[in-house]
Amino acid sequence: MPNSETLDRLVRRVVTQVRRRRVEHYALRGAFWASLVSVVLLAVKGPLGTWALPLAAGVLVAGALGGALWGALKRTSVADAARLADRAWGLQDRVATAVDWMGRSDRPPLVDALVADTLRRVERLEPRTAARRVIPRDGRFLPIPVAVAVALALAPAIPVPSGRLPDFSVGAEEEQQEPRAGSSMTDERSRPAARDRLKPPSFEERDFATRTGGTGAATSGDLSAVFKDTALSAQRPDFQSFLKKGDERLKLLEQADRLPDLQSDFTASQYKMMFRKSKALSGGLRPDQVSPQKLKELLEEMERLGRKGGANWQGDASEGMEALEGGQPDRALEAMQRALDKMRAQDEGARSGKNLKGGRESSRGAAAGRDRRGGEGGGPEDQDFGEGEGMMPGRGRSNSPKGEATQRLRGNPYDVGVEGESRRGRKDGYDTNMTGRGGQMASRLHYLGVVGQYRKMMEDAIARESIPRDFHSQIKDYFQALDER
Amino acid sequence: MTQDARVQDFVASFEGLRAEVEKVIVGHREIINHVLIGMFAGGHVLLEGVPGLGKTLLIKTLAEGLELSFSRIQFTPDLMPADIIGTNIIVEDADGRKHFQFQQGPIFAHIVLADEINRATPKTQSALLEGMQEAAVTVGGVSRPLPGPFFVLATQNPIEMEGTYPLPEAQLDRFLLKLRVRYPAIEELNTIIDRTTQARAVSVERVMSGARVLGFRELIREVPIADHVRALASTIIMATHPQWEHAPEAARRFIRYGASPRGAQALVLGAKVRALTEGRFNVSVEDLKALATPALRHRIILNFEGEAEGIDTDTLIGQIVDSAEAITAQGKEAFVR
Repeated sequence: MPNSETLDRLVRRVVTQVRRRRVEHYALRGAFWASLVSVVLLAVKGPLGTWALPLAAGVLVAGALGGALWGALKRTSVADAARLADRAWGLQDRVATAVDWMGRSDRPPLVDALVADTLRRVERLEPRTAARRVIPRDGRFLPIPVAVAVALALAPAIPVPSGRLPDFSVGAEEEQQEPRAGSSMTDERSRPAARDRLKPPSFEERDFATRTGGTGAATSGDLSAVFKDTALSAQRPDFQSFLKKGDERLKLLEQADRLPDLQSDFTASQYKMMFRKSKALSGGLRPDQVSPQKLKELLEEMERLGRKGGANWQGDASEGMEALEGGQPDRALEAMQRALDKMRAQDEGARSGKNLKGGRESSRGAAAGRDRRGGEGGGPEDQDFGEGEGMMPGRGRSNSPKGEATQRLRGNPYDVGVEGESRRGRKDGYDTNMTGRGGQMASRLHYLGVVGQYRKMMEDAIARESIPRDFHSQIKDYFQALDER
Repeated sequence: MTQDARVQDFVASFEGLRAEVEKVIVGHREIINHVLIGMFAGGHVLLEGVPGLGKTLLIKTLAEGLELSFSRIQFTPDLMPADIIGTNIIVEDADGRKHFQFQQGPIFAHIVLADEINRATPKTQSALLEGMQEAAVTVGGVSRPLPGPFFVLATQNPIEMEGTYPLPEAQLDRFLLKLRVRYPAIEELNTIIDRTTQARAVSVERVMSGARVLGFRELIREVPIADHVRALASTIIMATHPQWEHAPEAARRFIRYGASPRGAQALVLGAKVRALTEGRFNVSVEDLKALATPALRHRIILNFEGEAEGIDTDTLIGQIVDSAEAITAQGKEAFVR
């Protein structure tokens, strides 16, 4: 192994250079920040007196020295110095590689050749500085605070506010007040305000009972002077009389039980809630496809509601649960349907008792009432499925010359259950459960309704999607064929 | 022989071989250097360029300059793996008994020219995989070593895409370097015209044996590399990965998959050869920078955005190298901060 003294000497030289640059760098930075402190000290040299200048100079020197010390104490690794030497003299990482591999025991034979080659090159190097000077950004602005500090040192002391408040005492005010022919209003405005500002108001001085007169002269400590000559100051606040006379709004609040029961609106009724849940559970599914767990939860909830309100559907709900436990979901569904019917009947009864308008049900109820007055028809169910009477044109008592619109469907499209044999010819209902276990159920879909929905979706799709124009008529013909079925 | 003399011997041999190749090939100094670097590093080289630029001629000339066996495989769509590796055939001995005998394929040569490699099917391309990585092929359950030094030089045409099968990533990764053969300058073109259209025979001498190539390969692996240079190589590789936390913005935006550790090996090995060719005993940062593009351009897979924007992989690698240098230099070179 060649003697590496030359390499070590080169690296030490670079380390020394780096340390020197660091001292410069951090001394500049320290001097900059210390100069800012010196500017502040010189700005307040009035209170500091003769100490300001030596103190500012001391801070500046201390900052620079502190920075220099910090830079001198920072460590520089040998590898970094070697890299810097490579870069400075264009040695293509020879020094760094040699320094890196010299101390290793597993070095290949080529490392010796590398070290020898590097030493030869280093010995031929001309001495120059490897570490370039880097002036910090804050160091570049050092002249500015130094110049400001010098200017402040030469300038007279800046007057500093004493921190005392102006003297607002009466005597002082009287001295400053111009003698003028003041009216009574100006006297009233100025005098009490000036006195009150100096005198802290106390609670005992607030004598509201004395605020009756509008013209009385203000006395010392009388806060009612503020309200003098105003309309409000002449009125005595009497909340008891206000309550006795009563406000219409308060009266309304006292009769809250006569207000419409918004909480029991139809949209939030128990029946509606349970109806939605039941439809979400069984919508479009056969009884054996309904989740028994969810059906059980629904029945339990119905039973709980019935128990709570003492209603008559509790038994149906219990029966449904028993059927479900016995593995008969179809019976459970039937029991649930019965319970729902009873809930609806009770709900409608309650609503008609309150004489509230509740949309379709109320109109149906009103129509039923008309029928009852006419001695025909029965409950709401009879109105829906009445024969030959009611709203059919020319057959009922409708005021409209064409008769009222036929209620083909109930308002809720799910609430359809037509039993019995369907008539011949064009149908608006299609039996979806003709075979299998569900064949016993009278569950039907609205054929025309479903086809209509699909037709609308088809038209949207044709407008939205990029379907060739030649196919539009074919697609429409297909749906037309479905419609004529 | 001293280490210094070994290095000088390598430098002389390298330049002698290059001079022989340059008797035939005009220009393309950098391509020739990189082909030789790939060969001495023990890797394989893929040359990409339009037809007529002398890719095949370069490889044939190189083979002529070496005392090594050479075989050329013209890749076509109907080429089968057995056509490359060889197969067992039934032979009849003197006693009239029949037995299987392995018939070596063209891969059993020191230098294999896989011409227009992307014209063969992936199945056939894969036949080279084991040979390129393990320097051995397995036929009929028997592994057969390939002669050493084993060196595959492949060419492919980047413009004719019809009827070609782009090399899969696993195959590409096995090439140490991928070189792009550019069109020659006008002065070089004039020289080519003069040299190839006159009745003047050019003979290439064999200047290097296989044993010397293997010896130089050992020497190359002895070249030391400093910690900070190795760290730069690792950082370059990591910076090609978009998932890496310090990856440059360009890598995050345009790269789908970065280079594998094999890329780092290729980078450092190539840099070692380059250092020795300059008579230097150590790897420098400049060596890494010079080898980064040919060593990594086929190991970086662009994402859809990169493909759509037409991002040049070479430019991207340049940005990655700059970024990696900034990362490794952070806090190291700013001594006075």
